[in-house]
Amino acid sequence: MTKTDLIKRKLVSPKEWLGARKNLLVQEKEFTRLRDQLSRQRRELPWVKVEREYVFEGPNGKEALGDLFEGRHQLVIYHFMYAPDWEEGCPSCSFWADNFNGIIVHLNHRDVTFAAISRAPLKKLNAFKKRMGWTFKWVSSGNNDFNYDYHVSFPAGVPKEELEYNYGNPPFATSDLPGVSVFYKDPEGNIFHTYSAYSRGIDVLNTAYNYLDLVPKGRDEDEFEFGMEWLRHHDRYEN
Amino acid sequence: MATHSTGTREEWLAARLELLEAEKELTRRSDEVAQRRQGLPWVRIEKEYRFETDEGSATLADLFRGRSQLLVYHYMFGPDYTAGCATCSTIADGFRGFVVHLANHDVTLSAVSRAPFAKIQAYQRRMGWTFSWASSFGNEFNFDFNVSFSEQQQREGSIDYNYERGGHAMDETTQLPDIVVQNAAMCGTDGPTYTRDRPGMSAFVLEDGAIYHTYSTYARGLDGLWGMYQWLDRAPKGRNEAELYQTGGLWWRRHDEYAKR
Repeated sequence: MTKTDLIKRKLVSPKEWLGARKNLLVQEKEFTRLRDQLSRQRRELPWVKVEREYVFEGPNGKEALGDLFEGRHQLVIYHFMYAPDWEEGCPSCSFWADNFNGIIVHLNHRDVTFAAISRAPLKKLNAFKKRMGWTFKWVSSGNNDFNYDYHVSFPAGVPKEELEYNYGNPPFATSDLPGVSVFYKDPEGNIFHTYSAYSRGIDVLNTAYNYLDLVPKGRDEDEFEFGMEWLRHHDRYEN
Repeated sequence: MATHSTGTREEWLAARLELLEAEKELTRRSDEVAQRRQGLPWVRIEKEYRFETDEGSATLADLFRGRSQLLVYHYMFGPDYTAGCATCSTIADGFRGFVVHLANHDVTLSAVSRAPFAKIQAYQRRMGWTFSWASSFGNEFNFDFNVSFSEQQQREGSIDYNYERGGHAMDETTQLPDIVVQNAAMCGTDGPTYTRDRPGMSAFVLEDGAIYHTYSTYARGLDGLWGMYQWLDRAPKGRNEAELYQTGGLWWRRHDEYAKR
């Protein structure tokens, strides 16, 4: 475990603390309202009809994008970084998965189906999922262009200036990066792409970081060259 | 769902880029609020508390389990409930999977409830959770951190929850919202008994044997800590519950209760 020093804060009486806390509460409430407003704004985005056919390898064999909805109208995709030649899934994405694995059952009851998609072959996905003890649906896009079309996988040999990630360029040369995409299926079976987020845009979906934002040390990653250097797959911590 | 405007990818992209700026601005705001939060002064805890845990009787310092930061989720499970709060359960379904990461980043997360430990243990086994969960049965911890209240406080209207006196819908005794009554029924109890316990999150620090209280949040302050809502906020229908609220409907159940609907 990494353990950094605490920066000791001023010690005060409960009454004095309450004054400071109430001041912060005003700012927190304002932030919550801004977040609500932004969520409304997000849902006002126009939708783009998905014209391409994608067929994935999944637990039920070959499944089209439309099949992934499993009878619901909304589909949330987590673009899990797992390239075909990797031995295991990305540790950071695994951290995100540890966040969403337990809540999908609830999303399902608000007309949302959830699936993770990666380029690695299904066999690898299944084995890794079993090792991690996850139950979410995970399909392989190894035989289609889905990951490239939604800007989370990048062809080798193309300079990063010519590639798109997070509506700009990828931060470094790599084959895969994380993201979240949302789709809607209308009663006629038409599928629309409604939203995608990448990079720190999926920060808020890692609830654990919001928990770290509450403790005195915060995210406590400044000393690392790479922020999530402290992170391991949940079965790989030493204690 | 009402018909929605559609467009080409270029049109979508233009709108998306505009939204991206707003999203980035909000992320920066969030970082700022977090920084301010971490700069709050601390209050030294002088009182001794005794909890029941799976390792026997424990002090507040023991709950840190060797780490220097402790996050307490004030899980609503009053002594008279027959099961832990179903709403808190949806929050716990989120953190159950990542407490291991917090634990390796110098943060112990522990739930604390007033129910006797045997009740907590049975319920936790039922839900298949393994995070630390201590009972504050018989001590004043929950009352001191404003998540449990007495019948007298209810009668007098002297409940201070979320830094406000009588400001919350749960402070009502005669006309509780339907959603609260439903929540109460899911815990085998009535509205007033159910609302004597409330949800919250508190942060503590242990340094050189001294414990300090650094932060507490309640009510919608928990919104960002409630994993499922952040995902729903990104779906076209959003949280999709406004109508349900008007009719008093509570859409969620404990994760093992959905099949029974």
